[in-house]
Amino acid sequence: MKILLVDDEELFRIAVAKQLAVRGHTVHEAGTGEEGLAMACDLSLDVVLLDMRLPGMNGTATLKEMKRVSPLTEIIMLTGHATVKAAMEAINMGAFDYMTKPMGINELIYKMEDAYTKKRLTKQQLKVTTTPVNNR
Amino acid sequence: MMNLIKKTLGRLFKTYPIPNPSNAEELRLNFKSRYHHFKLLLNANNRCLEEMAEMEQALKGDKTFGMSFVRTCCTAISVNVLTMINNMEHLAPDKYPDLGPRFDAIRTQLDHLLHPKARIQEERLVIPFDKINQEMANVVGGKMAKLGEIKNQLDINVPQGFVITATAYERFIHLNDLQDEIDTITQASGADDLKQLDIISAQIQQKIITAAMLDGLETAVHKNWDLLEQNVNRPLQLAIRSSALCEDSLESSFAGQYRSELNVDQENFAQVYKEVVASKYSVQAMTYRLNKGFRDEDIAMCIGCMEMIDAVAGGVIYTRNPVNADDDSVFINSAWGLPKLVVDGSDSFDLLAVSRKQPFTITRRDIGEKTIRYRCSHGDGIEKVPVPENDRTQPSIDDNTALELARISLAIEDYYTIPQDIEWALSQEGRLYILQCRPLQQKKRTAPAPDLPGLDKPLLSGGITASPGTATGPVYRATRDADILWFPENAILLVDQARPRWAPLLNRAAGIISEHGGFAGHLANVAREFSVPAIMNIQGAIETLEPGDVITMDADTCSVYKGEQPAILAKKQPARPSPMKQSTVFRLLEQACDLIVPLNLIDPDATGFRPGSCKTFHDITRFIHERSVHEMFNFGATNNFPEHSSKQLHYHVPLNWWILNLDDGFTKTMTGPYVRLNNIASHPMLAFWEGFILVPWDGPPPVDGRGLMSVMFRSTMNPSLVPGVRSKYADKNYFMISKHYCSLNSRLGYHFSTMEALVSGRAEEDYISFQFKGGAADYDRRLKRVHFIKEILETYDFTVTVREDTLTARMEGQGTEVLKTRLMILGYLSLHTRQIDMIMSNSRRVGFYREKIGNDIDEKIIKPHFNKEEEHHG
Repeated sequence: MKILLVDDEELFRIAVAKQLAVRGHTVHEAGTGEEGLAMACDLSLDVVLLDMRLPGMNGTATLKEMKRVSPLTEIIMLTGHATVKAAMEAINMGAFDYMTKPMGINELIYKMEDAYTKKRLTKQQLKVTTTPVNNR
Repeated sequence: MMNLIKKTLGRLFKTYPIPNPSNAEELRLNFKSRYHHFKLLLNANNRCLEEMAEMEQALKGDKTFGMSFVRTCCTAISVNVLTMINNMEHLAPDKYPDLGPRFDAIRTQLDHLLHPKARIQEERLVIPFDKINQEMANVVGGKMAKLGEIKNQLDINVPQGFVITATAYERFIHLNDLQDEIDTITQASGADDLKQLDIISAQIQQKIITAAMLDGLETAVHKNWDLLEQNVNRPLQLAIRSSALCEDSLESSFAGQYRSELNVDQENFAQVYKEVVASKYSVQAMTYRLNKGFRDEDIAMCIGCMEMIDAVAGGVIYTRNPVNADDDSVFINSAWGLPKLVVDGSDSFDLLAVSRKQPFTITRRDIGEKTIRYRCSHGDGIEKVPVPENDRTQPSIDDNTALELARISLAIEDYYTIPQDIEWALSQEGRLYILQCRPLQQKKRTAPAPDLPGLDKPLLSGGITASPGTATGPVYRATRDADILWFPENAILLVDQARPRWAPLLNRAAGIISEHGGFAGHLANVAREFSVPAIMNIQGAIETLEPGDVITMDADTCSVYKGEQPAILAKKQPARPSPMKQSTVFRLLEQACDLIVPLNLIDPDATGFRPGSCKTFHDITRFIHERSVHEMFNFGATNNFPEHSSKQLHYHVPLNWWILNLDDGFTKTMTGPYVRLNNIASHPMLAFWEGFILVPWDGPPPVDGRGLMSVMFRSTMNPSLVPGVRSKYADKNYFMISKHYCSLNSRLGYHFSTMEALVSGRAEEDYISFQFKGGAADYDRRLKRVHFIKEILETYDFTVTVREDTLTARMEGQGTEVLKTRLMILGYLSLHTRQIDMIMSNSRRVGFYREKIGNDIDEKIIKPHFNKEEEHHG
């Protein structure tokens, strides 16, 4: 799984990245929304963990842009301060889920695996439905 | 009857048209994707149920929680309900358009509840005392509003000064974008984890202290400060005192929880302002708010800035006895120097009681040995100095001053019509000042216990009842802040000085014993609010009481006994009400639960079982869950897709059990109409089935000699056993399976049960849920059966709820082996509890079945899967 972590807390990024790398995933990191967005354009990402609270371009704006440039990438929003309104906004903008920190690493990994499966299935379905029948 | 036979035969010999290969590939993928959406939906459903259970648990009142708990639960449930709706849309596009609007309507109500945001209608950052009255408590804080009121309405002498308003606080916080940061930091904390709270408190305070000062505020403060100096024609030092919103009410005094800085120089103002604001996040203030259920955002820190009175004597007056509602004397606590010594409880002081009958007379005079006093330093701040030898045992005020204090305080009590707690100071010039007044909570004193024969002499006696009641526990001697972290639950706190810094321990301490202090100190005040028995000023306690020894304290008689003394405790058990239950946060949780938890959609066959009838989030989740199972089951048949159409279970003979393979539930692709048990790969289904066939059912009805298979065959094929209410699924039992998942809807006999299990090895996500209802007997006997099953399931660690004749059981957070044995138990019970409702009025037979079922489960299910954690069931 190709993962991007976007969070301005370096310690959090390091801790999560380490756990994910141990499990054999490719992990990229970004400290700002702008940086994350640039990576989403360049790399073909499977799952993005995106913090709501970021310096500069905030989480919601980054989510919107990422979904525009890379619609198949599944994005899980993370927040230190949960609000119903922000959560609804994120889900309605296409976030896979909205999770509250602190969360268990297993919970996070399961969520990412589910997101990845969704991405994979959507991609396969798209491939089948867009391939002309006589080419299948 | 003929129709039924035709229908059954039709089902048995049904043939499926074979889809063309390209269609098949598309269907296969489509089904895979649907199954994934179904799994996500189930996962979200599970999360909702877990969060709801947590909210209900919190409503029992024995948990301390803050707004971040309420917000986090509400957000998690909202997210997961919306996730369910979105995934349902994938399973059945445009089929349930009413779900979205129902969800939005409930969510909007929830939003209003959580974010009521009432703005303070005040533009001024600073308001002088002479412009302040009682009505302005939401602008200047209760403490300063009262001070302004008694100054302006009763003409009582209070120091000159001004207040920095809640508006200033809000703008300061907003300017530095602090609220979001504070909420983020506090979200990670629980009230029980003081160590964590300690770190969080330091982080937040640091952020406030280093924040930028509000421009207009400094200008306004210096202007008002200059005006005060012009009035007296000399430079003035001020006392900077907290006056937070919600402080100083009858139920919640917040006594000593926030910081006040005394004798502050004008040039240090900005730093001191931030320090006092930061004290809103001291460990003790945060613990107090959490324990009392205040919302952080409701408490703006207003600050009173008043002329510093370098008192020769000062203290606290209680206009009645706080620990004896029958005593109407006025109690004057007085010490040399600043009154801080009395509220801190850090030394002994004088106590004078004045009778309120005219003419006032002094009825009691306890002159303490006063070794220290506080005074203003020459520069900034205050200092502690020894009391000259000759003055130590002299009264700190004369009788006339005491009588004048009684007169002033009774005027205040008269004005507010309730007993008052008043801080006062006597200036060098002999003028009396009132520095603070707040309502005084009175405790009813427990009647003195009769002589208890056989009771040993107390280890200690003497001192003052600071909070009535009795307690027992091991002694814990606390000397430094770190002790707060290690203090054991239900120990007796033993301290030298009754300092407010021990307040965070009040929800853990069984009682408090302090060598110094009195009933007028902050700690005493808060102990009474939390109903924790407390004895203050008891000499020799530290020397006599050994840490770790169990003692019993009787705060009413100020006695301490060795060991646990049931005779004392039985006569006067202290009541420990939960302060949470009356709090704003608790009420909010209750209201949020009303929108989330109640389940109104119970019967899927009822006409009201539709999206428009959903009144709560739980209704929405229930509806979606029920319909999603059907949508999944119908897919294969609707699309003529044999691979994902249901197969009939062939177990010696074809049974009326229909199985839909969701993914990897079969060991190979099954093309025909049947599936045999050895082709089933679903672990949870196999475990359930193993329990189901484990022990032959021997009645009622009585065994007819044809053995297990005939009984099972009969019960699953006999249409007369199907209850009167028919639905599409009434005449068969159907499983939906994958390797790790299984869902079962079954009608055996006259009861209806559903079971769902995920056993994937992801312990955090795995679960079993089981629902059981109905029966052929009357309501009373059906109810008895449901309770009979509840008792059995609870023995094996299920969480069970019963509503009317419907039983719901859940299990989660367990390992794979435990879940498998529980599935076997459910399989066993599904067979063996049918028609047991018929004998529920016969207690002897009920006892027989209870014992038989218990033995079967223990001997045939638990023991063969024996492991240590199950030992108690073996």
